[in-house]
Amino acid sequence: MDYSNLRRQITFMKKSFFDQGYLDEQFHQLEELQDESSPNFVEEVVVLFLKDSPRLLSNIEQTIGKYPQDFYRLDSLVHQLKGSGSSIGAVRMKNECSVFKAHCNDRNLEGCRRSLQKMKREHATLKQKLESYFQLLRQVGPREHAVNSRN
Amino acid sequence: MASSLKALLVEDTAVQRMVLSALLRKQFHCEITMAENGKEAVDMFLEGNTFDIVFCDKDMPIMTGPEAVGKIRAMGATDVKIVGVSTDFEAMEAFMSAGADVFVPKPIRLDVVEPMIQEVINKKNN
Repeated sequence: MDYSNLRRQITFMKKSFFDQGYLDEQFHQLEELQDESSPNFVEEVVVLFLKDSPRLLSNIEQTIGKYPQDFYRLDSLVHQLKGSGSSIGAVRMKNECSVFKAHCNDRNLEGCRRSLQKMKREHATLKQKLESYFQLLRQVGPREHAVNSRN
Repeated sequence: MASSLKALLVEDTAVQRMVLSALLRKQFHCEITMAENGKEAVDMFLEGNTFDIVFCDKDMPIMTGPEAVGKIRAMGATDVKIVGVSTDFEAMEAFMSAGADVFVPKPIRLDVVEPMIQEVINKKNN
């Protein structure tokens, strides 16, 4: 695939993330922090999130399975996930975390279970999309990485 | 904006530390020190470290943000600007009661933090 086609595909892909509500303005803020001194900053932050978040999701799942229910701990775990997700602009994950927290507040275990399944699906989808996006970015090379872009 | 402000970042989550430290360093040229919980932050003040501004998360292991803020103020560190941060707006009351100067919701936005940094710079230069 030639450079201009790749560039178009990257632009279209990123636009779709925003149009479909996977990412919000915070992702643009991450891009603003990327420069020649840290040309892979956005990918590094996203990789860190994608590395850390499965652990949190697993801890949430384990805690849901415990008896008696520990809604305080569940709320604390989801709070961490919400904060991390919002830091990269993962708006769907952030919103589902808010739903989960509301279920914790209501001590609604079944609601928490349903919300967790949604969070896991959203996480898997986001992971797949962002990994594909950065794979394409790597194909166009360092020049693309170092340039702040809102395209 | 070049500042050379000394900023303490109190945050237990690695992703959030990474993003906020980059924002403060790249946009405002702050000298960043990090603490992973409230106790580490308090210990830094006890060791005699001084900071121009503190960004403090609320929910952290060992010691929460508001508790750390209360202890920092109680040891006489009244000049340092303390910014409480959280994804939950309910955290504002806890931070302000503990002695924080301001509360900002997460994720921290550049247009929100810029006037705070400028205020601290102006105060330091006067």
